[in-house]
Parts: sequence; structure tokens; C-alpha cells
Amino acid sequence: MSETILALDGVSKTFSGKPAVRDVSFTVERGQITGFLGPNGAGKTTSLRMALGILTPDRGHVALFGGPPRPGALDRVGFLPEERGIYRKMKVIEVIVFFARLKGVRPAEARKRGLAMLEEFGLAEVAESKVKTLSKGMAQKVQIISTLVHEPEFIILDEPFSGLDPVNQYALEQVVRKQAEAGRTVLFSTHVMEHAERLCDKIVLIAKGRKAFDGTVAEALGEVPRRVTLEIVSDHDLADVLAGKGAVHRERQGEHDVWIVDLTPGVDAQDILKACVDANVKLTRFEPVRAHLHDAFVHLVGKDAAAPEAETA
Amino acid sequence: MRNIYLIARREFLSYVATWGFWLSLLSVPFFMALGFGMPILIENSQPTRYYVLVDETGGRLEQAVYEQIDRSREDEAERVREAASEMLGNNPQVEAALDNSLQLEDDSYVRVDAGTTDLDELRPYLTGAAELETDEGPQPLFAAIYLSEPVPGRIEMAYWSTNLTDSRLRGDIRTALRDYMQLRYLVDNGVDPALIEAADDIAPVVRELNPERSADAAEVTQGERLPIFVGVGTAFGLWIVIFSVVNMLLTAMIEEKGNKVLEMMLASARHHEILVGKLLGVAAVSATLLLFWGALASIGGLAVQQVMAAADIPAADIMAALFDPALIFPAIGYFIVGYLMYGAVFLAIGSLCETIQDAQTLMSPMMLIMMMPLFLVMMAIDAPDSPIVAVASWVPLWTPFIMLVRLPQDIGMVDIVGTTLAMVATAVVVIWGAGVLFRMGALNQANQDTVKSWFQFGGKKKAAG
Repeated sequence: MSETILALDGVSKTFSGKPAVRDVSFTVERGQITGFLGPNGAGKTTSLRMALGILTPDRGHVALFGGPPRPGALDRVGFLPEERGIYRKMKVIEVIVFFARLKGVRPAEARKRGLAMLEEFGLAEVAESKVKTLSKGMAQKVQIISTLVHEPEFIILDEPFSGLDPVNQYALEQVVRKQAEAGRTVLFSTHVMEHAERLCDKIVLIAKGRKAFDGTVAEALGEVPRRVTLEIVSDHDLADVLAGKGAVHRERQGEHDVWIVDLTPGVDAQDILKACVDANVKLTRFEPVRAHLHDAFVHLVGKDAAAPEAETA
Repeated sequence: MRNIYLIARREFLSYVATWGFWLSLLSVPFFMALGFGMPILIENSQPTRYYVLVDETGGRLEQAVYEQIDRSREDEAERVREAASEMLGNNPQVEAALDNSLQLEDDSYVRVDAGTTDLDELRPYLTGAAELETDEGPQPLFAAIYLSEPVPGRIEMAYWSTNLTDSRLRGDIRTALRDYMQLRYLVDNGVDPALIEAADDIAPVVRELNPERSADAAEVTQGERLPIFVGVGTAFGLWIVIFSVVNMLLTAMIEEKGNKVLEMMLASARHHEILVGKLLGVAAVSATLLLFWGALASIGGLAVQQVMAAADIPAADIMAALFDPALIFPAIGYFIVGYLMYGAVFLAIGSLCETIQDAQTLMSPMMLIMMMPLFLVMMAIDAPDSPIVAVASWVPLWTPFIMLVRLPQDIGMVDIVGTTLAMVATAVVVIWGAGVLFRMGALNQANQDTVKSWFQFGGKKKAAG
């Protein structure tokens, strides 16, 4: 039976009369990677701050490890905020030890773990260097180490991929996977759907402060109408041929006329192919289109809510 | 408590590890020593001036000049003695030390015999073309002074020198001649010289009495004045420490905000823990500075006492006034409350700003508020019972400084209790308000424009993403 690590129950937060989060509820279960998705300004950071007790909800309840987000519970959480930085004048290992000690790790143990993680992240040689001498990528790795050094049960990452180059984005994905494999629970917010699609067991979509979807990635993709693209050389009118199987329309793509079929629920691509064969349609292209999370997001929240902030990596 | 301790410890170590801290630590005693020592250094570094004095009256004016100069020195010594007595009390050993030091020969100007009194022959020495043989080796002639009395009663001095700025010798001789002329005028008009000398010594006997005490014990001792001076000194010291320390807090906070460290901190510690931890860390820095400076001052005081063996400066009285429970405990209390008030406000300002330029506009009113007690304390030196000072001590942000000056004056309990309660209540409100601002600033829900807007059309908070 799964254990709920974090539960937001009908939480709302308003700033100067402007609602930032409206009646949002979701849970994060132990051992899962949960993606918290939405465009910029959707209310993700405010929700995460309420989850950690940094902000108090105007309405609703937050339960972290089954209780209010008290300091004791925070020691079991590793949080990497969106606006992140570290003390530039301190030595790398001192920064890591400092943040570990804030989470209750003893100094000697914090140093030992910090050095081991620096080794693991390929930064062993800069352990005694000042943070200000590091490159941006190295400093970001030190921030991640500072978040994980106390071996938290629950890791919350707010827009962890923003500002990272593709190589470091991939490296961070590996870190997230590794933490999940080690049995840790991960919740990360992002407006980049591809990361969520690759990593998440579960996603929570939020737009304009409201939750739009809560479920698995497959379930989210299942919400998007499946689509088939066809090109033919015969004179058939596919709207007649495929009547009742979906919404059919014709559009010009380059020098070709293509038929687009948005499948009716219960109809799959094989049914379309069979109908075309039965009607002697001469096909030159038959392409079932695979939906992406971005499509699901646009479908679920509408183009207005998703754009222009929603991005793809 | 763990987080407060760790944050305070980090703050403390981050300051102690900087060059700026060590510069602050050493620069204050260095510049104080420089301030005290510079005049002596300048005095001692001045080369000996050699001069020729030619008395064309056959020695009468020369004798009068030196007698008057000696008398002037004695008068000057007496004035210094009286001033010292006013400050330090009637202490025979202090007087002996002053007598000893004030009767020293002034060897800055040495009269020499150049072997000639003819101006044309002396001219090369005056212009530097030739040098005189002296005990220090060959030296230029600083001045040639010719005294004459061409007409009875009309004394003239011709002062030849290429140095246009050092006028002390000329001034001393001119003053001596004037005194001699005035004395001779009185004598020539029938006044007995003994009478003139006796008149010079006439001075009133002044007794300062305290009407709150009975006749026997009414006389005000010099030691009773010390607490007022110590109070003023402590108020200045408190102002300097608080002013320098809160500036440290401000710059560190802005740096932290700019580096976006606060968000990382909030993942581990609550706002109040960060606020209190920072205040305590910087308080520890200021305590370190105060302890170091205090120890250095004590060592310096002992050293001065050792060097001036004959001078029994009433160090015990000064220390007793400084560590009088009636002053030291309020001073500690005022420091803590004053530091917390100003420190919390400056931290809040820092949390609202990304750069020191952002902070400038918010700092200006605070600087004015902080400067006012400095002027009022200066005013209180001459008029500690001024109604303006009394009223200003009720302004809670100024209370810590001004009450330190008022406390040694036997003010009423209503003033002491009332100002203290108002100050503590204000401190609680200010710290609470600063905490709210700090929280908003740390989460980027407010910035310097938000505060400005409160004073215009009412504030609007910015929502987080």
C-alpha cells in the first residue's frame, strides 16, 4: 500500500486580491517521481512554497509526512528552489557542510558525504575552492549536492532544468532517476514537458492557479484525441469513407494534399486502415501520430492557458 | 535553535574571515592613536630654529622679553592645571606631573651668537647661502630680530626671516614686548610694581555646591562630573558601534539577496530563524570588536600610566564611572534594544533590495533618523537639562543614545521607566514589522518600490509564480 508523502487539500493563495493558487489538491506518493507542470506564472512555485510551509495557504490544508510542514519534517526534505544561489565567498565543501548541518547532519558526517558527492559529480578537485571561482554549471552542481547531501526522503525541485545546458539537463535527469531508484520520492516542477514525459510516474498539470489534470503520463496522453495522417492517389472522399470513425479534414502540406483524421474514442488506427483497404483507397502515406505531453497539456488547459508560456525543450 | 546557531555562526565566521573586519578591528585604535599622536609627532618633528636677537637698547628689552616669556609660560601652565583639575579633580600628583611637564625649557627655538649683529653679514645665513655652526652641526639661521627704542616709549621690533608661516617666535616676542610696555606704562604713571603683581594673582574662590545635600556634604566633587562625560562617551561609542554594525548587516543582506541564497536558506530554516541568526551573528562580530577595543584601551591606559609614573590619573574613578551599574547595565540594555531595532530595519531594507543602489532611497530617511541623536548628544554635552534633549529622549529610536547622557543627571523614574517602556514596545513593533518585510523581500513579493508605494497610494504585493 502506497504512503502519501505530501498532500495538498484544496489550498488557495491570494496576493493583493489576485489569486495565485485556487483550490488545488493533489498527493505525492512514496517512491514516485511526480511532475508538477504548468506555464510560467501558473502557481507552481507558490504551491511548492505552501507545501514546505514557507507560505501559509489562505484556505485548505497541507500535510507533509502526514502532518503540518514543521521544521522536523523539513529535515527530511531536500528543496532546490527556482531562485537559487550559494555563498560565493565560501569554500565549496563548507557550503555543502553548512546546508547539511542545517538539516541536522553532524559536521564530520556532512563533510564525509559532501566529499563523496563531489567525487561522484566530478568536482572533487574544487572541494576547497571558493564558490566564486566555479563555472555556472559547476556551481549548479554544488547547489544540487547541497540539496541532496542530507539524503532526504523527499526531494522537491522547482524548475531544476532551467538555466542548464542540454548536457547538464541530461545529467540532472540521471540524478533524478538515481534518487528515485534509491527509493526517494521526487516532486519537480517544470514548464518543459519533455523532461516530465521522460521521467515522471505521475503528473499534475496546473494552469492559471487551478489544477487541470492529475494522473499518469499515459492517462494524460490518453486525453489527447489520436490522429492519423493520410495521403492518397485515388479520387476517394475520405470524409465519406471514414464516416463515423472520426473528424476528417483535408489540408495542404507543401505540395501535397493530406487528410487528417482525429479518431473518435474507441476507434484506433487499424480501423482506419481497414476501412481504406475495404474501399480500395490507394494510400501513399499512412501515419498514426503519437501524442506528446505538450499536446495533452494544450488539450487539457486550452491554447490560451498553455500559450505563450508553455514551451518545449 | 540549531538553525539560529548555525546561521549566526556562519555570519560571524564570514565577517571574521574578511580583510574588512581586520581593517575595522585595527583601524580604529590606529587612527585614534594617530589622532592623539599626530600633534605630538608634528611638534617633535619640527626642526630646532636658531635665531639671533639683537637688543639695540643695551640689554634692557632683551631682559624684559625673556622675563615676560617665562611669565607667560607660567600663566599658560596655570590654565592647563586648572583645566586638568576641572576634568580630573584636585590631585597633588597630577599637579606635580603637570608642573614637571609644563616647566620644561622650550628648545624649539634656540638663540645663538652668530659672531656678528650686522644684518648684511647675517643675510647669507638667513637665506640659506651659509650655515651656522651649532651643537647639531651646520644649521640655517631661522630669524634675526632687532629690538630698538628710537623714541622713549616707542619700542620697535624688526623681524627678519624667510619663513613666512612659522610665526610663533615672532608672536611670543611681540606679546612679551607688549606686556612689558603696558607694565612700564603703569609704573611710569605711579603704579607700584608689587601692586600690579599682586593684582595678577587675585582670583575668586569658587565652590560648587549641590542643593540636594546638606551643607557639610554639599560640595560637588570633581569625580561627580565624570559620569556625565562617561555617559556622553558611551552614547557616542554606542552610536558608532550600532551604525557600523547595521551597515554590515545591510551590505551582507543585499549580497545574499543578489546571490539568491535566501531561497536556499528558506528550504532549511524559517524566516525568523534567518533574521535572528543574522542579527546574533553580527552582534557577535560587534561584541568581538568592542572586547578587542576595550582590551586595547585598558592596555593603553595602563601603559600611559606606567609611562607617566608621576601622573596618577584617576583611572580608578574613570573605570568606576564607566562600570557603574547605574550606567553599564542600561548601556548594555540600550545597545541590545538599539541594535535589534536598527539591525532588524536594515536587514529588512536589505531583503528588499538587489543592489546597494536600490537601498539608497530607503536608507536616506533611516540615515537622517540615525544622525539626529548624534547632534542631540553633542547638544547635551553643554545643556544636558535642555527640554529638547528631554523630549528627544522619548523618541524610541533615539532613546538608547540620549538616555545614556541623561541617566547620570538624576532624572526622575517616570522618564526612565516611560522611555524604556516606549522603546521596548517600539522595538517589538519594529522587529515584527521588519520580520514581515524581510519575509516579503526574501520571497520577492516586495521590493523597494513596494515600500515607496506605501507612502504614496498604498502597497501592492507581487504574487509569486
